[in-house]
Amino acid sequence: MKSLLATLALTTALTVPGIAMARPVTLTTTLNAYGGDGAYLAFYVTDASDAYVGSLWMAGGKSKYYKHLGDWSRATGGDTAQVNGITGASVGAGRTLEITLELADALFDAGYTLHVDAAVEDMRDSPNEVAVPLTTDGAGTPVRGRRYIASFAYDM
Amino acid sequence: MKHTLTILAATTALTAAIGVPAWSAIQSPDDAHLRPFAAVFEESAKSLPLILASDDDDNRGHRKSWWLRFGDDDDDDDDDDDDDDDDRGGKNPAPAGTVAPPQNGLFENGAAPKVQVN
Repeated sequence: MKSLLATLALTTALTVPGIAMARPVTLTTTLNAYGGDGAYLAFYVTDASDAYVGSLWMAGGKSKYYKHLGDWSRATGGDTAQVNGITGASVGAGRTLEITLELADALFDAGYTLHVDAAVEDMRDSPNEVAVPLTTDGAGTPVRGRRYIASFAYDM
Repeated sequence: MKHTLTILAATTALTAAIGVPAWSAIQSPDDAHLRPFAAVFEESAKSLPLILASDDDDNRGHRKSWWLRFGDDDDDDDDDDDDDDDDRGGKNPAPAGTVAPPQNGLFENGAAPKVQVN
């Protein structure tokens, strides 16, 4: 009995910090019916001093077009290693992209900002299409993008 | 007399056509609403999207801009090595699910994002 309690205490102690350090977050992005082909979208995070921290997702697999995602490209130097393993297809007009990922708790309420750059074939580039501070209060609040994104929200 | 008038009219028209834009371009208007022609032309050019002509047009009888090749997955000749190194943009990133996400401190547990398009 004593060893069972000790085991339980140990597993609890090991599990709780893990739960506290990460949470599942869903990024929901709905595009306008802008009448063009699939949009390239770069999701990335900057810190309180506006310095690039890292990328969360890249919609669009051909790196030769990444220069049209202006702010992301400048921040990363177009380094494709930043989006290795987190790259998928471009997103069609009027479609909704849902990305669910385990994000570090430390990102919330600590001055971090989530950005989305967008670019569409034969249409204007839209760097910083969306920029939302990562806060627990801001979760679930949809915001509108500047050109291609009808609605963006993160939910926890 | 008629001949002289014709020459005068022609030279006046030429002067107006060439001189007015040139004169306008070198003037610095005090009034912000009065912009030289050059500024108007420059501004219109800036407001247009940049479209670069492709240098590898084929013989299909139409021109394709650089951007028209964007996301054109069913184009057989747009790129010989889409999945490999590309001299115009470097190596394409590894698609999700093929390698672990980058260790940038954002992804806890190294779990790859789950993605759905509706």
